[in-house]
Amino acid sequence: MKALTIGLINLKRVLRDRSNVVFMLGTPILMILMLGLLFGGSREPRLGVSGAAGPLAERLVAALAAGGAVQVERVADAGRLRADVERGRLHGGLVIPQDYDAAVRSGGRADLRYVSLGRDWDAIDLESAVRAAVQRENTLLRAARYGVERGAGPFGERLAVVSRAAGDGAVRVTTTGEAVIPAGLGAFVFSAPPTLLLYMFLTALTTAIGLTQTRLLGVSRRMYASPTPARAIMAGEVLGRLLICLAQGLLIMLGSALLFGVGWGDPLGAAAVLVVFTLVGGGAALVLGSVFRREGPVITLGVLLGLGLGALGGTMVPLESFGEGMRRVARFTPHAWGYDAFTALVRRDAGLLDVLPQVGVLAAYAAALFAVGLWALRRSLVRG
Amino acid sequence: MSLIEVTDLRKRYRSTTVVDGVSFTIGEGETYGLLGPNGAGKTTTIAMVVGVLARDGGGVRLAGRAHEVTSLATKAMIGYVPQEIALYPDLTARENLAFFGRLYGLAGRDLRRRVDEVLDVTGLSERSREAVSKYSGGMARRLNIAAGLLNRPRLLVLDEPTAGVDPQSRGAILDAVARLAGEGVAVLYTTHYMEEAERLCDRVGILDGGRMRAEGTHRELVSLVGAGDHVLITVDGAAAGAVPALERTPGVTRVDADEARLELLVAESRAVLPLILDAVTGAGCAVRSLEVREPDLEAVFLKLTGRALRD
Repeated sequence: MKALTIGLINLKRVLRDRSNVVFMLGTPILMILMLGLLFGGSREPRLGVSGAAGPLAERLVAALAAGGAVQVERVADAGRLRADVERGRLHGGLVIPQDYDAAVRSGGRADLRYVSLGRDWDAIDLESAVRAAVQRENTLLRAARYGVERGAGPFGERLAVVSRAAGDGAVRVTTTGEAVIPAGLGAFVFSAPPTLLLYMFLTALTTAIGLTQTRLLGVSRRMYASPTPARAIMAGEVLGRLLICLAQGLLIMLGSALLFGVGWGDPLGAAAVLVVFTLVGGGAALVLGSVFRREGPVITLGVLLGLGLGALGGTMVPLESFGEGMRRVARFTPHAWGYDAFTALVRRDAGLLDVLPQVGVLAAYAAALFAVGLWALRRSLVRG
Repeated sequence: MSLIEVTDLRKRYRSTTVVDGVSFTIGEGETYGLLGPNGAGKTTTIAMVVGVLARDGGGVRLAGRAHEVTSLATKAMIGYVPQEIALYPDLTARENLAFFGRLYGLAGRDLRRRVDEVLDVTGLSERSREAVSKYSGGMARRLNIAAGLLNRPRLLVLDEPTAGVDPQSRGAILDAVARLAGEGVAVLYTTHYMEEAERLCDRVGILDGGRMRAEGTHRELVSLVGAGDHVLITVDGAAAGAVPALERTPGVTRVDADEARLELLVAESRAVLPLILDAVTGAGCAVRSLEVREPDLEAVFLKLTGRALRD
């Protein structure tokens, strides 16, 4: 009961400060949105096309849209196209010269102009797609011209023939194995779990400052002077931090599900990962808050560890984009294990049993941190 | 009968002994002062008495029971006012008191009533809903004391409760402590202010270098110095005429005369003052003024330790 009293007073102190509430809830949701837009992407970049509208030009436009990977739309003129790209409405634009059809039929040269700011992944994807489509069309046009020059028939007929032949496809590409990022997932599925891990851990470490203050102010010693056992004080201090951490995790889950439609997978598995990661954060806060006798090192180390381990553990840049060596290093952070577990739950419909190894590793982290933290807190209580 | 008996307390930090064989007792309604300079071992002694610091030797008995760091029943009898403002600055006075009250097992209506009472005793009722961070130093000190009164303690332990407060708040704090002692609360009070110890404490223990140098009532301690009281008399006319009569007066150990001024050293001024006045007037001198200076605890401390209390 007294542990609950101490736990609740800690929760009250944190929630009383509005900046804490903004940090705990507002910032993670914003982060999910930003990372979702950055790394999730729409997966269908928008391409604007202006200029010639003859049969061959339209054939090129159709080729650009053929794969379904690019949304193509006609834009009135080159000026408008450029403006739309600059404003971000389009990821890129293609200007087809007015003499395109004539130049192509006569075997001459037609200069296409590609407009792009190239500032995000969608724009880069789009440029690759446009290059590939234009190159393919160029190959077909040259093959048709070659037939005409050899007297095999008129250009339109030859083009139809080579297009059919190419459509059969001499080379087929088949993807095997499990896709790193399965198709059909929403953008925020990529950003929500890492953000949850990053913020839960960071928030837990910031609560360590409160524990250090409680010790420095003499409040913990005053608690110990009352008829309250040391174990109840320690349990209360731990409980407060766990409640804060868990509340943030739950609210990020709920908020991301409601606002961005993030599905967190198997509820039991997600709950298990959330709980053990809460324990890891709480344990780290306990160590940090109990070891130092001044607030300065707690603040500095808290931020450094929170951001550093988060970055290393794949919560800022996806773990999949790490090299093999860095991925091995990342395994030393609890974040990477949490990331793996959530990735399995969210992207691959894994269940509790599938994430038990990650849950076990996180539980070991938590146990080690709690052992050190409780020892340090008890020592600071009894020895002053 | 003593409420608390402290026997041969000892504490070491690595190779340094900070408390070395300290013993004292305090009865109900008695105020006991631990007087000593900074670093004398007062706070460490207090911490062991309260039960927040494990001792290396000695014992503490409270109301006949052994008192250890794990003794919850005896801890419930103690009100502890630490030297620092041990309160949450971001919470209001009422929230702080309610929190500590719950740790002493108070709840519901009892808790609210007791919080109101201690706020009233310390004169903080009107600003009880303000955050402690907005309090002046003196108000925060009073709230610190209020938190030590929540459990209606039988023993109130105050560790330098007036450190850094204005004279008005200091007066209010000393009055409150005296009132509590009058109600039967045993008080253990540490200070390095000699005047506070003289004003408040029935008995004083002088602590220096972790050892109890002497203890007793003010009078008992003063008698250790060996010197008597100084009596200063101003007379009309030549003071030298009164010297022979004064030297013959029992209890007067030394007489110095300087024009109209006499300075006497006497063993017990209260007892011999009428005889002194008779001797002076009998010698034909009219007394214009008389002042008695008793040796203070500062002199006692100087005598016992060879240095001033605030060195």
